[in-house]
Amino acid sequence: MASKASPSPSASRSGSLKDASMAKADESAPVSKEIVSVIESLKRHVVDERCVSIKERMDNNRHKLASITSHLQKLSKERRNSWINFADSSLDLLKKRQDDAIGMHSGIGTSSSDKDSDSDQEDSHASTAVLLGTSIPPGKNSVRPIRLPEVKKLPPYTTWIFLDRNQRMTEDQSVVGRRRIYYAQNDGEALICSDSEEENVDEEEEKKYFLESEDYIIRMAIKEAGFSDAVINSLAECFSRKADEVKARYESLTKEEKTSVDSLNVDSEASSLNCFLEKDLEAALDSFDNLFCRRCLVFDCRLHGCSQDLVFPAEKPPPLNRPDLDNLPCGEHCYRSVSKPEKVATDDSPELGDTKDNSVQPSSGSAGTRTSVRKKHTPCARKKAKPSQSESASSIVKNMSDSSDSEIEPQHTASTSHLSPSKTKLGGNGGVSQRNSKRVAERVLSCSKKRQKVVGSDSDSVASGSVLGGDGKLSSSPHKENEDANSSSQKHAKSRSRKRELSIQNLQGEARDGISSGMVTDPPGNNSDVTLRKDDCADGNSCEMALNDNLSWKAFEKSLFEKGVEIFGRNSCLIARNLLNGLKTCVEVFQFMTQGDKRLAYQAGDAANSLGDGYSKFEHQGNNEVRRRSKFLRRRGRVRRLKYSWKSTAYHSIRKRISERKDQPCRQYNPCGCQTACGKECPCHLNGTCCEKYCGCPKTCKNRFRGCHCAKSQCRSRQCPCFAADRECDPDVCRNCWVSCGDGSLGVPNQRGDNYECRNMKLLLRQQRRVLLGKSDVSGWGAFLKNSVVKNEYLGEYTGELISHREADKRGKIYDRENSSFLFNLNDQAGWFVLDAYRKGDKLKFANHSPDPNCYAKVIMVAGDHRVGIFAKERINSGEELFYDYRYEPDRAPAWARKPEATGSKKEEPSHPSGRAKKLA
Amino acid sequence: MARIPLGCEPVIGSLVPSKKRDYRVTNRLQEGKRPLYAVVFNFIDSRYFNVFATVGGNRVTVYQCLEGGVIAVLQSYVDEDCCGLDGISEALLEFSICFVDQKDESFYTVTWACNRDGSPFVVAGGINGIIRVIDAGHEKIDKSFVGHGDSVNEIRTQPLKPSLVVSASKDESVRLWNVHTGVCILIFAGAGGHRNEVLSVDFHPSDMYRIASCGMDNTVKIWSMKEFWPSVEKSFTWTDLPSKFPTKYVQFPVFIASVHSNYVDCNRWLGDFVLSKSVDNEIVLWEPRTKDQSPGEGTVDILQKYPVPECDIWFIKFSCDFHYNAAAIGNREGKIFVWELQTSPPSLIARLSHAQSKSPIRQTAMSFDGSTILSCCEDGTIWRWDAVSSSSSSSSSQV
Repeated sequence: MASKASPSPSASRSGSLKDASMAKADESAPVSKEIVSVIESLKRHVVDERCVSIKERMDNNRHKLASITSHLQKLSKERRNSWINFADSSLDLLKKRQDDAIGMHSGIGTSSSDKDSDSDQEDSHASTAVLLGTSIPPGKNSVRPIRLPEVKKLPPYTTWIFLDRNQRMTEDQSVVGRRRIYYAQNDGEALICSDSEEENVDEEEEKKYFLESEDYIIRMAIKEAGFSDAVINSLAECFSRKADEVKARYESLTKEEKTSVDSLNVDSEASSLNCFLEKDLEAALDSFDNLFCRRCLVFDCRLHGCSQDLVFPAEKPPPLNRPDLDNLPCGEHCYRSVSKPEKVATDDSPELGDTKDNSVQPSSGSAGTRTSVRKKHTPCARKKAKPSQSESASSIVKNMSDSSDSEIEPQHTASTSHLSPSKTKLGGNGGVSQRNSKRVAERVLSCSKKRQKVVGSDSDSVASGSVLGGDGKLSSSPHKENEDANSSSQKHAKSRSRKRELSIQNLQGEARDGISSGMVTDPPGNNSDVTLRKDDCADGNSCEMALNDNLSWKAFEKSLFEKGVEIFGRNSCLIARNLLNGLKTCVEVFQFMTQGDKRLAYQAGDAANSLGDGYSKFEHQGNNEVRRRSKFLRRRGRVRRLKYSWKSTAYHSIRKRISERKDQPCRQYNPCGCQTACGKECPCHLNGTCCEKYCGCPKTCKNRFRGCHCAKSQCRSRQCPCFAADRECDPDVCRNCWVSCGDGSLGVPNQRGDNYECRNMKLLLRQQRRVLLGKSDVSGWGAFLKNSVVKNEYLGEYTGELISHREADKRGKIYDRENSSFLFNLNDQAGWFVLDAYRKGDKLKFANHSPDPNCYAKVIMVAGDHRVGIFAKERINSGEELFYDYRYEPDRAPAWARKPEATGSKKEEPSHPSGRAKKLA
Repeated sequence: MARIPLGCEPVIGSLVPSKKRDYRVTNRLQEGKRPLYAVVFNFIDSRYFNVFATVGGNRVTVYQCLEGGVIAVLQSYVDEDCCGLDGISEALLEFSICFVDQKDESFYTVTWACNRDGSPFVVAGGINGIIRVIDAGHEKIDKSFVGHGDSVNEIRTQPLKPSLVVSASKDESVRLWNVHTGVCILIFAGAGGHRNEVLSVDFHPSDMYRIASCGMDNTVKIWSMKEFWPSVEKSFTWTDLPSKFPTKYVQFPVFIASVHSNYVDCNRWLGDFVLSKSVDNEIVLWEPRTKDQSPGEGTVDILQKYPVPECDIWFIKFSCDFHYNAAAIGNREGKIFVWELQTSPPSLIARLSHAQSKSPIRQTAMSFDGSTILSCCEDGTIWRWDAVSSSSSSSSSQV
């Protein structure tokens, strides 16, 4: 150690080493010597610099500290003054005694060597010492000891953190691979426990990166001695690294140098730009996927951890739908309020009918593009489909919505990737017919808008109809449609033709109405593509006009928009308000959306002449992209977890168990990502667990746990399938188990059954009993019950850290030493899990062991997780202490748990007092 | 042992004394048979700069250093649960060596504090985990802090706000208390906390939010209570029962340093640097470099090392004078090493030894200006060393 500080010995040592090796390898010894001397001088330089820098830092620190301490000194003086001012009346005994002592000392002096107290002791071994009869005789009564009244001491415990739900151990909590020194109080010796191999790994990792000083030496040495293998070799030796490592480092250094020079020239204002807007949403979403727990619906879930495998449900939920909001403009920049005056300005009297239409039917203003309307009303249409509506209107809408459903997906995923080709195309178009572009564009826009409105009115009325339950409005809507068609066809041939197409489409939809839904999806998709393409041909000019607009959309905003469409459907109001607030207005979103359609359709038509092909291609791409990402994430997740490799250890520490059976049937559940009904290869099936609601597989999966249908048994007996399987009921799964929200002031769901309330959801709902912590009658701390309970009542959960068995073994060694155990076997050996309540847990961890307990523990599956519930074994009165059987394995049980004849039981042996024995390193 | 890379070597002081100052033994007291674990001067109030307190066994004693090496006993407090001491004991310093049973208190640490009025407090803690706050101005117990689940290993006072004390305990927690209101303000423990006994803790001299703690898990942890400062403020005006105070947990330190590979039993701030010692025969001075973006991470730059031979047992603590110019540390053999702290390279001021000082020195105390060094030993003795000015070598201090 010491040699490292002084440069000379280390230098000479390494130098001589190098000489020897060099002489063998190189015949040109003088050259290598030169190199060595260069390196040595550089090293010395580095060391010297280090000394100087330390000195400088010490000096700086001293100056700082000097001002601090002088400030403190001032404070201490002020304190004296303030005390004097304050304590005019009250006496300060310490001060008084101080004065007394001084007075006595000066009065008596050294002559009266009447050694006060410990004269005999002094005599015994210090009489001849330097010592000096200087201790003054204090007046004996003046310093008689003052008694400190006794205060009851607490039973020993380690500071612990309350947990209301289990947590998975984070890596930094692990004791595996960490050296831990035990201090055995009783025998006064220290024991070191470590896994030596694992420690070595750490050190190797440490050496990987190069330090600044090393970089410096590499650079300077090569600069002075030239770039040659000999130099590299001697450098490598000097750093005790590999030669190729040094070489690679040098190359990267020179590269860095170059780039740093270059970057100086490069404009620096780029960095000043608002950088977060430039970022892709992907990165943000990636962290969302990583941090958000889809099982607990919280960020940074401590139980399931980050980087979970992403499970995409096979059944997608329909996009959010709020029909009541659809009719009103969302704000002053709403596309609805903006598009109206625009229309009036551009279109002349023939359009009056149109505006009238608007006024008559305010609901028609709700439309986004055609597809958006459909999209929005998808759920309504679906709902409608059940009661077998024979109205044509409803079937149209239904069909449309079906088609839009199938088509929207690929649009989102594809729109960004195909941006560039559409742009070039648009440019060409614009050049040809630039003269009348604006006029035409606007007219086309307005008419297409009108058409959308027509459709919108349809679906709106369907929506309202479905709400009201009446059909009167539905029948009227086709008429209106016709009217609209008429009015518009007078002026605009194009729009009429499109109208016709639309009706054709509708007919098609009608025709296929009876066909199974799976079949329906594809052909309407094609149809819509046809119409979209036509749209686009006509509206190419308008696209060109808005191209500038499109450019101003940043990648981040675009991807936000895409997500918005996924969430809200094609509703520009909601997207603008919720996702692009402050960035884009509703109108801008709306325009972007319509352009996006056009671009897409253009692209679709372009890419493949056969539309079906193009469509399927889109779908393909979209799917691929999704799949790729999820795989990427999955890999990331696994890498992190892989740091814990399972290693069996011979030693098993004592742990609490639920039952005496060796094999516990419960296995850890991990949601599967199957997209179809699970077969033999489903991970859940292979693992021996049921599929749960968190799995990707559809609800029809045969491996799913179906929940119970209990009506009156209240799920408290083994007749309830949930109860029999040691599971809690789940309101999402079980048919009759429901939960009312709050205190009922917000309304209670319709009661199913007769006043039936499921009693098998106590852990899920956290309906635990009040448990008190107090001094145990038996040993140490104990858990007590506040209010009396009846038999089999749920008392609370035993929470703690979820740790692997391997970790548990390591920790167990520590805990056994302290003769306390908070380990609880949770489920099988296949991975995690032992519960450890040592540092984190709840009050029930203090419940003591008893061979004749009044409680029992039970592992219950709650929403995919195993949890330990403590239940009353018999009626327990208020204030009674809680005991349960730890069920230690007989051969490992500690002495106090082994003897059933002992009165009561002990968990923590009182620690024996002993002085601090010395501990040798 | 990990290899220290180039350019990061610490400067190591040489063990040749500079003889800048020399010290002589001027007094020795036998306080009893029980080991003395702590001795500390009052740096809080300038009136009491020559007053110090010691703890050992169940006794807290307050002394005064007088001219000429004289030590006067001022006050003595005995924890009641010791058997066999009746009211008027003939001899104050004679101990009835009572049977050490489990309930018996054995103090490990003591510090000076004061309440808001400025009344001097002695705060002591030990094996029972109960922190005793003694009002030395009125010679009575003021409060007892119950809360630690196991023995208290060190208590320190915030120099800027001497009503605040922080305690390190075997229960793996560090707790911040307000002696004025008797409130436990914060508990530094939990997910990022110590994983074994906490042996030492210290307040940053200027940054009121910072503390450093170290312990048997071989780490030094630096904590910040910046986010919790409102709680600290609140504690000064708390009038309700102290147990009702909403004590908060600080679970994550801002920095975790692995400087040592064994128990770290003493750490002190030296400005923004940290002095810490393990059982490796040296005190290490290092700079914590925290990363603002990622709390908890950072690097350690070891600047200097102060070798202390034969100091390889744990629970030996060093002390500094008021201005942090020097530090004194005892060793297993009863010798004391006085280091000049703030020079580079560090220089040993003096190496103090006495033929009869053979017992391990658990803690030292340096007076305000460093002219007096006190040491308390395993065998229950207190030694006083006074600086001898080289000009008048045979001064009056030696009677």
